[in-house]
Amino acid sequence: MVDEPKETKLRVRRRPNPRLDQLRRTWYFFRRNTLAMIGLGILIFFVILYVVSFFYAAPATQLETYQATNGSLPTPTAIFTQVCTYQQGESPPGPNCYLTPVGMPSVIGPTATLRTASLGPLPFGSLTLNPPGQIFYNTFDGLVKGTQWSLTISVGVVVSGAFIGILLGIVSGYYGGVVDEVIMRLTDIFLSVPGLLLVIITLAVFAPSVTNLWTRVGLVIAAFVVVWWPSYARIVRSQVLVVREQRYVEAAKASGAQGGRILRKHILPNSIYPVFVQMSLDVGTVPLLIAAIVFIGFQVFTTRSFPEWGTITAFSAQPDVLASFITNCQSASALGLGCTFPWWQFFFPGLTLFLFAISVSFFADGLRDALDPRLRR
Amino acid sequence: MVAAAGAPMASIIPDPTEIVHLPPPEVHAETVEGPGVSHGDVVLDIRDLRTYFYTYDGVVRALDGVSFKLRRQETLGLAGETGCGKSVTAFSVLRLIPDPPGRIVSGKILFRGADLLWGLEREAKVKPIKKTGRVKVSRRFRRIKAAAARMMAVRGHGISMIFQEPSQAMNPVFPVYDQIGETLALHRGQHIIDQLLNATPDSPELLPAIERLTEAVRSHASNERLEELAAAVGNATNLPSFGTQAFYAARTALTSSPDALTIELRSALRRLRLSGLQRSYLKYRRRQTEFIDQLRETYMREMQEGQSHRLLEARSRRRSFANRWSHPQFAVPFVHRRAEKPLKDELFWQTVALLEGVQIANPVRVARCYPFELSGGMIQRVMIAMALSSEPTVLIADEPTTALDVTIQAQILDLMRDLKHRIGTSTLLITHDLAVLAEVADRICIMYAGNIVENAPVMNLFSNPLHPYTRGLLASIPRVDQPDKRLESIPGSVPNLITPPSGCRFHPRCPYAMPVCKETRPPMTDEGNGHQVACFLYHGPAVVE
Amino acid sequence: MRLWIYVVRRILLIVPVIIGVMTITFVLVNALPVSQRLVSYYGPSPRLSYDPVIPCSKLTGNPSTLGNCTNPAYTRGVAALGLDKPIPVQWAIYIGNSLTGHWGYVGNGTGVTQSVPITRGQPVVTVLGWFLPYTLELAGLSLLLILIIAIPIGNLSAVNRNRPVDQAARVLSFSGYAMPAFLLGSVLLMAFVLLLGGSSGLSPFCHGQSSYTDLTGSWPPPQCFPGQLYPTWLQSGAISSPTGFPTVDAAYHGLWFMALDTLIRILIPAFVIAYGTVALLLRFVRNSMLEVLNLDFVRTARAKGLPEKTVVKKHAGRNSLNVTITVLGLTFAGFIGGFPIIEQVFQLNGVGRMIAYSVTLTPYDFGMIFGSTILFTLLVVSANIIVDVLYAFLDPRVRLG
Repeated sequence: MVDEPKETKLRVRRRPNPRLDQLRRTWYFFRRNTLAMIGLGILIFFVILYVVSFFYAAPATQLETYQATNGSLPTPTAIFTQVCTYQQGESPPGPNCYLTPVGMPSVIGPTATLRTASLGPLPFGSLTLNPPGQIFYNTFDGLVKGTQWSLTISVGVVVSGAFIGILLGIVSGYYGGVVDEVIMRLTDIFLSVPGLLLVIITLAVFAPSVTNLWTRVGLVIAAFVVVWWPSYARIVRSQVLVVREQRYVEAAKASGAQGGRILRKHILPNSIYPVFVQMSLDVGTVPLLIAAIVFIGFQVFTTRSFPEWGTITAFSAQPDVLASFITNCQSASALGLGCTFPWWQFFFPGLTLFLFAISVSFFADGLRDALDPRLRR
Repeated sequence: MVAAAGAPMASIIPDPTEIVHLPPPEVHAETVEGPGVSHGDVVLDIRDLRTYFYTYDGVVRALDGVSFKLRRQETLGLAGETGCGKSVTAFSVLRLIPDPPGRIVSGKILFRGADLLWGLEREAKVKPIKKTGRVKVSRRFRRIKAAAARMMAVRGHGISMIFQEPSQAMNPVFPVYDQIGETLALHRGQHIIDQLLNATPDSPELLPAIERLTEAVRSHASNERLEELAAAVGNATNLPSFGTQAFYAARTALTSSPDALTIELRSALRRLRLSGLQRSYLKYRRRQTEFIDQLRETYMREMQEGQSHRLLEARSRRRSFANRWSHPQFAVPFVHRRAEKPLKDELFWQTVALLEGVQIANPVRVARCYPFELSGGMIQRVMIAMALSSEPTVLIADEPTTALDVTIQAQILDLMRDLKHRIGTSTLLITHDLAVLAEVADRICIMYAGNIVENAPVMNLFSNPLHPYTRGLLASIPRVDQPDKRLESIPGSVPNLITPPSGCRFHPRCPYAMPVCKETRPPMTDEGNGHQVACFLYHGPAVVE
Repeated sequence: MRLWIYVVRRILLIVPVIIGVMTITFVLVNALPVSQRLVSYYGPSPRLSYDPVIPCSKLTGNPSTLGNCTNPAYTRGVAALGLDKPIPVQWAIYIGNSLTGHWGYVGNGTGVTQSVPITRGQPVVTVLGWFLPYTLELAGLSLLLILIIAIPIGNLSAVNRNRPVDQAARVLSFSGYAMPAFLLGSVLLMAFVLLLGGSSGLSPFCHGQSSYTDLTGSWPPPQCFPGQLYPTWLQSGAISSPTGFPTVDAAYHGLWFMALDTLIRILIPAFVIAYGTVALLLRFVRNSMLEVLNLDFVRTARAKGLPEKTVVKKHAGRNSLNVTITVLGLTFAGFIGGFPIIEQVFQLNGVGRMIAYSVTLTPYDFGMIFGSTILFTLLVVSANIIVDVLYAFLDPRVRLG
């Protein structure tokens, strides 16, 4: 017997907003992608951390307390520094001391400090010690505070870059002609220079003269934006070229719409979807690039120990430091001393960078698959 | 019976009892005897085929119980509007439906005693989710892949297919001889290699034959004479493709210098003199083709007997498969190229012969071309040549002429008709153009919204259309003999296949709709003379599946 | 159109781009105070000052002289470097020089010369010529690794869409993108150093040296090869001779073991670079393969009865290669910029490390900076041209159509 499909009840649903439906559809496909949901979850965690970081102030570092109560600082041996950390209020030096080779970078944070994380309006402590320029603070504190800076810079770069890129891309794609040629040559030029180099050189030229922290941050954002906008312009332009030929644009023109209106209502909303994907991907790239620049040796921010993810990671992984660690450890074993490699100094910051970038890429990939009309089932 | 109780007498569609007189169709002498007579056994039997597509917007019931039979040497036309499911039927037969999102849900396709859809139920499970009203399809990909692999037994070999847009259907980066050669090697590889291995380039009759050919060229003999003599040359070497090569060499020598012909042919013999390396390569390729043939046989038997244990047998045989790694010397690029040259040349000339068969004027040039250099009509001929090269039992042609203009269309149809008689393939011709079917088909199935509504021999369909949809279609065709006839259209539009109408899918647009049409789907009934229809207006005995 | 016409056209299109890049560097140069440029060129001097004005007391030697006078050193330096001419003239001279290959000189006493003394006073072109082959070797090996990893895995991902293989490949490629290269490099370096050296940290191959020197640097240290075994040109401090490529050089001189050694030294860095770049390429191969698999001729190939493996490899593969090559060209451009990091970690004698030194060790060496920027731009642009030509070569439609 042939099965009979029941007569379908016609549900009268008001569909005033096709955009809302498209959103719902996109969300449906996004939701079914496990990796994308994991990425989204981690990103939400970072957003919460971002909000928290504005109010977060680390407890004063223990060494400072030590100095305050004892009037002197731990003296370094020839090849090692003894670093002791202990709870606030505990009388020094506690059992949490370890030897770290001289030259090892400037963030400390053994597990004890991870247990004593406390949120609340406490002053952010930092301290200058011998050797000069070496600043001690807690890895955990540095990472939490660093969220504020890293995310602000990333989002600032991506949003400004996208803004300029979209603007120029739309103009170039829609009007064509000389304007298009000029803008395309410009993007060619900027895309031909390796981005990292251009950022470093721009910073090298302009940064020494800027000492105010916020201006410096603005300069960093500007340097990145200069390198970043061409890729957005390219993406938008290719989309505009496709959208421009669609029938509804022709129809709009036939009914008398002027250029600006067409751009705003028809071209713009339909051309910017690929940009969203690229934007989300780039948010993850920026902290990695800052880390790379600091690693190369160019100090991006005003102080050497600026609490920003990339800065912290880079300082802990400098090649000369690692080399000296090995040689010092050899000498230490000759002397019969143990040698603790403070792995946490680059592991946790590196992990943060890694988690942020990978969650962003899962999210962006899921977004791309959900938005792609051909891959929809 | 005549008019539905309570339903008004529609003026749009003529009274079903009135016989419409059509002018007698052109009778082709070679067509098989009379309409409505079955010519013997059924080669392809499709029973209750259901293919659904599971999409975000719902389940598209593209085919909902399609059944028909294709007989030996019969041309069956499958006609219907765009979107009624004709192409889906064709793809379902060869299992070319992309598995997410589509799925052949149930049915039987019997071919040569095998059910091509064997094992279907175990490939996926469909569960309705009550809350959202959606369905969840859990696919077992390994089984689906195995099923697709099993189809290798029939694809190209027993059932061939040609597609709708000829210019997109061929791979743009390989020339024509490469793509056809691939097909030849796959399906007739053994035969070709045997011929090549047994060729006799040093036969005593060869040189005299070449001399005679050269003489004929010098005296500007006719094409037929040249063909004859070139075939003789081929016979002398025991290799017909050398005859083809000789023919085309002679043709070009007609315009250039005839004296060079002998020298040219003598040097062309080089391709028949196989070195040891080439011989061993040919033997290695022969083992491969043997293996593929065995595999095909195994798959076919699996489907015939409905058992999978033979797959294990094939797997153990696969271990003895002669592949690249068992003969690494053939993997080195230079060696490989030298070794396969005779085979490639042989395939080239066999391709040329094949293209001759589809009436292409300059086959040597066309064989060397890339697909984008050829026109649509030419490519469609090439596709036909490729499809028929393996002498399949069934040829499925999916709208072969829709993308071509009318003059080319006529040529292609003539070609197909001609080939049908020569080779004797059964054809399933899918089109929306009834005029084409009137010319070429023996039998026509009319499809509407995923169901077959009428199935009749061509004469009967046009002289006595039973189903209201068919009548509507025919009424909308302009007629040369009735210049003042009104072109009627069928009111309404094609239904949404996600939520198709209940019962008979045509009932919302049917002027004869009765209450029963909304509730139950009409069964296919036999109205005599081989004419079947699915409509409650007719009360013949039900067609037993 | 004919292939060579196509090539010439492509080459001509890059001239405005190159001029544009040089203009940008020119603008950046001129944003700097002149005194810094003088320092870069002449080297910091304990006696002279490069400021435009100095207290007159310094000139006369009499501490009681008041006021400020113009610094003759400054005036002389400015005149010598041509910095007193109007800006457009300077630009024209700069472009002219850049196009003809006069890219200036490495300064005396800049950070670069302090760390690599042999470069002092040499023309930038020569210095870059010494270091470029090392970077090219590294780039070549990375490219090879990327191709070997990305294309098979990308194809596998496309054929098994959304199944476990695809998801695993996705995670792999994203982890490559998310991991900071220097971190991965440092961690791998440390791991191998400890692996080779054990607790004592001594090298098993080279007596008395730390295992750290086994894995860093482009050449093994001279202490490993006492006597004549060590190439003489390295002993005198030169970078490499005669071809410039370390492996080729060592092989040319018959030092096979050392040639192998140089190759092994760039193996881990190449792997780190490949790991980071595979992310982008993998997605692209997968997506282009997915697109191709939906095209009509793939369906025809299946309908012919070809086994699925042949359909994917032969028919789909050739068609998706075009897009892959394009992306390869783009990534080649990308990872040239990333080399400074890897070369710094592994202490290789590449252009990247020189750039890193020139922008981080004060005083900055502007000759090096701008010369290497132009060099990198040229490399990127030529990579793009090669990609376009390859594309035209592989796709007969471009050639004949």
